[in-house]
Amino acid sequence: MDELELLKKDWQKGEDSYPKLSYNDIYSMLLKKSSSIVKWIFIISILEFVFWLFISFGLKASGYSMEIEGMENDFGFIAIVILSYGILAYFFYRFYMNYKTINTTDNAKTLMENILKTRRTVKQYVIFNLIVLIVSTAYMMPYALNQSEESRALIETARADGELFKYYIGIVLATLLVLAVVIGVLLLFYWLIYGILLKRLKHNYTELKQLED
Amino acid sequence: MDKALEHSFVELLEKHQNIVHKVCRLYTNNQDAHNDLFQEITIQLWKAYPKFRGDSKFSTWMYRVGLNTAITLYRKSKRNIQTQEFESVQFKIKAEPYDDTEEQQLKLMYKAVHQLNDIEKALVFLYLEDKNYNEISETLGITEVNARVKMNRVKKKLKTILNP
Repeated sequence: MDELELLKKDWQKGEDSYPKLSYNDIYSMLLKKSSSIVKWIFIISILEFVFWLFISFGLKASGYSMEIEGMENDFGFIAIVILSYGILAYFFYRFYMNYKTINTTDNAKTLMENILKTRRTVKQYVIFNLIVLIVSTAYMMPYALNQSEESRALIETARADGELFKYYIGIVLATLLVLAVVIGVLLLFYWLIYGILLKRLKHNYTELKQLED
Repeated sequence: MDKALEHSFVELLEKHQNIVHKVCRLYTNNQDAHNDLFQEITIQLWKAYPKFRGDSKFSTWMYRVGLNTAITLYRKSKRNIQTQEFESVQFKIKAEPYDDTEEQQLKLMYKAVHQLNDIEKALVFLYLEDKNYNEISETLGITEVNARVKMNRVKKKLKTILNP
């Protein structure tokens, strides 16, 4: 193509037309902060880990789970707790390893894949937490309902009125609604953050990937 | 921070800074965005520098980190969307002898290149820098055959932009 050759000639002729930054100009840039998406993904991921840890420890510190009598000795509950800590450790390890493999000197496709892999790990972590939240809520509900005097009294009243089924359905629906709102807010949050951060990267990755198919 | 390492890095970058300017020229449309991307590439180069072993040329290594920053890591893409600002910051190239038609043609070509997507720009950039298809494929992580196919498509696309 003649035009592209013309452009190439012009491009290579223009070596003197670029600004010349001094040693000090460049040196001062080394002290500035990066605004790369990897840094932001890293910060957001750490916040996500902290957020879920805070929820988990915060609830324990406030004595919430222990208030439910008999829960601390329940096999199912202990299994959920042990499993969730084990998986948490595994996610930390995977996230750290993924982050370490991000290397700007890799080729463009590998670099993009590694960044997307980090994002995928955090996404799996979030899904895992949501599942734990749902399973433990479902598991703990019968305990919570029988635990306090007030709730037992409420159940008795409902039974006396012949509306026990309605009462349970009400509780289940209310819990589902709260869970749906929590999940909805979280999804919106991720969609906003990662949608903005990774949109261009995903687009470029698809463009490169298409070539290979 | 290792002062000697810092010194050797700044000296090398000062010498080869045109490579970074050229990446910025293709991926940004105004001076602010140019400076911004230049700074980000400098930071990424500096972060990767301790791993630079000298088994490849510093300039070759710069192409890779520079392009990776522009197409993968750089976040402030909003500034780059508008293309109308481009002409006002076009670098004044001393075209000798002065040829009005050629100058006009070049202007249109630069404008057309700016309308390409990030990956297409990377291909054009490496082509303009006289890199062979082996180097292009290694920088982008695609096969040599695909690099050729893609480059042909980019040429066709440029033709369509220029002669709609």
